[in-house]
Amino acid sequence: MSGERREITTIVLSMVAVCALGAAALGGLYLVTSRHAAEQRRATEMREVAGLIAVGPGGSWTEVRQSLAPSRGLVFYRIAPVAGAGRPVELAFDLDGARVQAASTAATGAKQGKLVPLGTIYVARRGGATAGFVVEGTTQGYKNRIRFLVGLGPEFEIAGVRVVEHEEDPGLGAEVASPEFDGQFIGRPADAGALTVTRDPMPEDWRSALTELRRMAAGPWLERHRALQARERTRPVYAVTGATISSRALTDGVRVTVERFRARWQRIAPYVSGAARAPVTAAAAQASPLAAAPLGGTR
Amino acid sequence: MSSTPQLISITPLPPAEPPPPPPPGPGQLILNGIFAENPVFRLALSLCPAVAVTTTVMNGLILGVAVLLVQVLSSATVALARGAIHPRVRIPVYTLIIAVWVSAIDMLLAAYVPALYAQVGLYVKLIVAFAIIISRLEVFASKYPLIPSLWDGFGMGLGFLLALVAIGAMRELLGSGSIAGFPLTPVKPLLFFALPAGGFFSIALLMALFNRVERAMGGGRAGPAPGGGGAHG
Repeated sequence: MSGERREITTIVLSMVAVCALGAAALGGLYLVTSRHAAEQRRATEMREVAGLIAVGPGGSWTEVRQSLAPSRGLVFYRIAPVAGAGRPVELAFDLDGARVQAASTAATGAKQGKLVPLGTIYVARRGGATAGFVVEGTTQGYKNRIRFLVGLGPEFEIAGVRVVEHEEDPGLGAEVASPEFDGQFIGRPADAGALTVTRDPMPEDWRSALTELRRMAAGPWLERHRALQARERTRPVYAVTGATISSRALTDGVRVTVERFRARWQRIAPYVSGAARAPVTAAAAQASPLAAAPLGGTR
Repeated sequence: MSSTPQLISITPLPPAEPPPPPPPGPGQLILNGIFAENPVFRLALSLCPAVAVTTTVMNGLILGVAVLLVQVLSSATVALARGAIHPRVRIPVYTLIIAVWVSAIDMLLAAYVPALYAQVGLYVKLIVAFAIIISRLEVFASKYPLIPSLWDGFGMGLGFLLALVAIGAMRELLGSGSIAGFPLTPVKPLLFFALPAGGFFSIALLMALFNRVERAMGGGRAGPAPGGGGAHG
């Protein structure tokens, strides 16, 4: 009996030792790699963002992180330039869209309760004016969450959609991440009428045009197929064959994301452009008088 | 001791065995992994991942390389630590060793080759449960010293890698009409082979071919191929 007890003690101790050794090794490795992994993720994200709206050499990006404090009914915005120095601006609005004074910022909010991230907005600026937006959105796909980026021109027309994370089935739902599906969004207005889904078969000429997006950027592609696109932009989005649910999920997700973004942009636009120093009215910021942003970069 | 009830559920002691025969040389160990005891075509181990990931050559190659690394590192660790592992809890300890190596490779891939990781990250974590790895630890690395265990792990990993590449090549060619992403035919000849059921058929066809070639070369073995302990994981 005592021999058995001793054996069990030995087993337990040796297992504890093995687990502790393994945990220590992995913990150490995590410390070494996590920073690098985060930087890589960030670089990948910015490449995707730059692929949707091309700002060119003189342009810059401003990042707006949105988060919600559900217990307090507040939405926080943290506005900071993506590259280079610059003090971040923090804003808080209540759910009716009224500005709450800066006593309660996201940092103190984080201390007081949990914050739900509402996605990030990237604002492209060139020559002191807004050249476009890239808005992060998520939607419930057939299997799991689909995370995507929507590129918008200054007049809120869709410049492109890119799925960045999904777990849909290969060959079926995963095809929503292909240019043959998400290319259909390029140049569409983002209102409800333009973003519905049909199960009708896609016309062959439109499909072969969309396939060219695998080799060329959205901007030149749109120039080349302007007539075809004008015909298709008034029609519903063609669902991926065998993946209507995934197709609807992404299309609805894009519509809702753009709707919400436009509402929020009304509030934060004055603070993004000149920070709080030179506030312009939301309406003026919205109707920014610039030439249309060149659409897209390379895929 | 056998009269008292078991307090905790633990792995039974392995049957008392005569000391293992001296290990074969490196060349023979590698050939053993590729042909005589090929993990997929002979031992029929780890067939789930072999079906799941081999829709293209590239996926098969990447997962094969990851398995090769985990197998060699785990075999080496077990061979070094075999004196210190309590025989009753050897399986949990092997699993932990594999899990640590898999997590380490997972983190390194995520940090330094994110593009690759985006494609195979999901499958790399599953290597923890691959039957082939733990079976080599139990069958070989726990009985032999470091150097032969390294060669055995390398041979087995290489056998698994080559099998995955062969299955991936067959399925990509027939299912998508391309090889390693380069399109060869304008249409998809037999889409069936890209789907999961086609994976099983590919493995069966290649296994038959494997047997045929081996017999034609005058090799092969009398009687059934050695079982590797079921086809789980």
